[in-house]
Amino acid sequence: MVPISYYLILAAALFCLGMFGVLIRRNALVVFMCVELMLNAANLTFLAFAKQNGHLTGHVSAFFVIAVAAAEASIGLAIVIAVFRSRGTVSIEEIRTMKH
Amino acid sequence: MDLKQFLLQLRLDPSALWLIIALPLLGAFLCGVFGRMLGRANVYLVACAAVAGSFLLSLSAFLSVSPLEAAQAVTMENAFSSGTIRYAFGYDFGTWFSAGTFRVNFGLMVDHLSGTLLLVITGVGFLIHLYSTSYMSHDDGYWRYFAYLNLFVAAMLTLVLADNLVLLFVGWEGVGMASYLLIGFWYSDTAKAWAGRKAFVTNRIGDFAFLIATFLIVLLVSAFNTQATAANFSMVGGNPEAAQVRYREGLQMKGPVAFQGLETMANALHVTPEKAQGGVNLQTPISEGPLEGRTFGGVLTVALLLFLLGAAGKSAQFPLYVWLPDAMAGPTPVSALIHAATMVTAGVYLFSRMSYLLVLSPTAMVTVAIIGTITSLLAALIAFAQDDIKKVLAYSTVSQLGIMFMGVGMGIFWAAVLHLVTHAFFKACLFLGAGSVMHGNADETDIKKLGGVRHEMKQTWFTFLVATLAITGIVPLSGFFSKDAIYHGIHHNHLHGYEWASSVIYYMGLLIAASTAFYMSRVYLLTFEGKRSPEAKIPHAHESDWRMTTPLWVLAILSVVALFQALPLMPGRGGVMQPVMENFLGPVFSSAERIAARGGEVKLDHSVPSIIDYLKAWLVALAGGAAAGFMYLKFFPSRAGQPAPAFARSVRRFTQNKFYVDEAYEFLVIRPVKNVSAILYKLVDTLLIDTVAVRGTAWVTARLGSALRYVQTGDAQAYAAVMALALLGGAVYALILVMK
Repeated sequence: MVPISYYLILAAALFCLGMFGVLIRRNALVVFMCVELMLNAANLTFLAFAKQNGHLTGHVSAFFVIAVAAAEASIGLAIVIAVFRSRGTVSIEEIRTMKH
Repeated sequence: MDLKQFLLQLRLDPSALWLIIALPLLGAFLCGVFGRMLGRANVYLVACAAVAGSFLLSLSAFLSVSPLEAAQAVTMENAFSSGTIRYAFGYDFGTWFSAGTFRVNFGLMVDHLSGTLLLVITGVGFLIHLYSTSYMSHDDGYWRYFAYLNLFVAAMLTLVLADNLVLLFVGWEGVGMASYLLIGFWYSDTAKAWAGRKAFVTNRIGDFAFLIATFLIVLLVSAFNTQATAANFSMVGGNPEAAQVRYREGLQMKGPVAFQGLETMANALHVTPEKAQGGVNLQTPISEGPLEGRTFGGVLTVALLLFLLGAAGKSAQFPLYVWLPDAMAGPTPVSALIHAATMVTAGVYLFSRMSYLLVLSPTAMVTVAIIGTITSLLAALIAFAQDDIKKVLAYSTVSQLGIMFMGVGMGIFWAAVLHLVTHAFFKACLFLGAGSVMHGNADETDIKKLGGVRHEMKQTWFTFLVATLAITGIVPLSGFFSKDAIYHGIHHNHLHGYEWASSVIYYMGLLIAASTAFYMSRVYLLTFEGKRSPEAKIPHAHESDWRMTTPLWVLAILSVVALFQALPLMPGRGGVMQPVMENFLGPVFSSAERIAARGGEVKLDHSVPSIIDYLKAWLVALAGGAAAGFMYLKFFPSRAGQPAPAFARSVRRFTQNKFYVDEAYEFLVIRPVKNVSAILYKLVDTLLIDTVAVRGTAWVTARLGSALRYVQTGDAQAYAAVMALALLGGAVYALILVMK
């Protein structure tokens, strides 16, 4: 059986990948994909612990995260499309109007 | 069925006593809330009917406590002792409020003292309501006026009917409020609104003293209850132990401020340690509580002096009399009812009600008498030079109230109450006469600009003359007898330790009587006699209508008839004939008499004035009147056109400006208070609260906000970076914890 630390290191690596993607990429669509990556890293952690402890709670949480991710993706994509229609771009650098 | 039979059958059930108060209260409500809707005539009807109904109920209550046949005398159970209270009845409507052992009941009581006052309040009150229907016939605020007037009557009746200090205080405050509302009745005139405010504030000072005095009495009663022994109650009657138990039950049932309880306590308090046999006496120190270490007598004296300050506020005595002359800003019938006949006598009523406490403290008594003398003399002197007819009458009221206080202070309670009654008649008559004169002369109040009104206002003239003679003290009018009864009592009563007071105050009293005769004759002569002044507003005066003259006639007749109350017609102790009023009020003041006789602190005399005394008083009054007649009929007219000597003018100016008492108060009290308030306002309100606390908070928030605003760049990735850094920080912190 694979030790739990491997799962956790994998999850941490995935999370960091996602996070750096969110911080660096300019395309809003790619930023969303990176967010999905972070969420799945969290899922992996949940499942790893659930397997180790023999609890169902972790599985349940993972399902919740998937449901929330689906909702988030649908709303986020709708926003991206709306922004594209009004501004003709999906670059985050171009949409900085909500400021002081 | 003849009249006597009918009167004998008139009985008011004690449980219906509340109706006497409720009727005018209902009238006030109807007039005040629905007055505009009801219209003028209906408001008149409601207001007058309410007071008339109250008068009939009062009459029936009065007849119940003073039956025409002795066999039918009512008695009332005393909650505090096994004895009964004769010639009184009352009803306890239950607890009003209670906290711990303290409780106040809503109890009403009628005895001969409150019965007399009931008749005066509702009787004179009704006449003045009737008068007002004509006097206020051109005023648009009629509904407000009658609502206030009814409210006043209700409050005054509460004051008189209350069987405990706290309920009395409700009436006390109620009359103060009604008085404030009526003085400032024409509130659009700033000076009149200010006069109302002055009256209210001055009264509040007195009311504060009244409250403190009540608290002291509560503490005193509880200390007495803990420390008193059976020896104390040997004088209350019956078995001492049983009497003490009964007293404690009374305290539980009716609370410490009930008058019956105070009376029992006064009866049980020994004056000197020699006679006390271990019981509590006036020199016993209080053993516990906030008053620990102070003697019973000392606390009682302080409480009575505070009551004196309270009474000085309400009854316009020195040093709080200054509001009454300004109160003439209200409509004239109001001055007649509130500021002459009823409300201002509340202080005299209070001390008569608590006569049994007063006689325990000669110091308090002599202070009351001295304050009365100072007030009376001061006001009489100021009245010399006033030209406003209402102002003269106002100062005369202050002066007459001072005479009543002299009487109360020297222990001649019945005469003070008699003077209260006769004064209510003739002073109300004078004020209403003055109102009638104003009404017929286009609201002219300056007596220098009147004159010769006699021929055009015959009814007003005659009634005013009768009332003037009554207040001046001319035989055979009531004022002569009541005032002389007071003076005789002052001269013959003695306060232990203050023997000098009797003669000093008596001779001051004669001086006051002469002054009264002088200024009242002056007002009468300048207004009614002589030729009409060329400065008059209208060339001819007109007589007022029947609604104004009827009350004048009734009051004039009453101020003559009331003299019978001072005549020695009733058989008293030892077969000596007593004045009617003294005999009538005997049951009310019996405790005071008993305590005075037992303790030797106060010697109360019961002799009847001799012919010589009467003659002396009469000569004094005549001299004052004759001096005024000489000055204003002969001396001044003959010197018309010549300037008066300089000293006379300066004296006159000094007197006309009321001895600058208002200015002195302004300088000594009002200005310092205002300055301290201004400093506090600048320091605490403006600086600390407004600037630092309120505006300071807003300023800090605004500055902080405008500085932090620049963090909001609109770059989502920058926000995410901050979150990532925070996460990193959290992770590092967790690592450090784990490593440890």
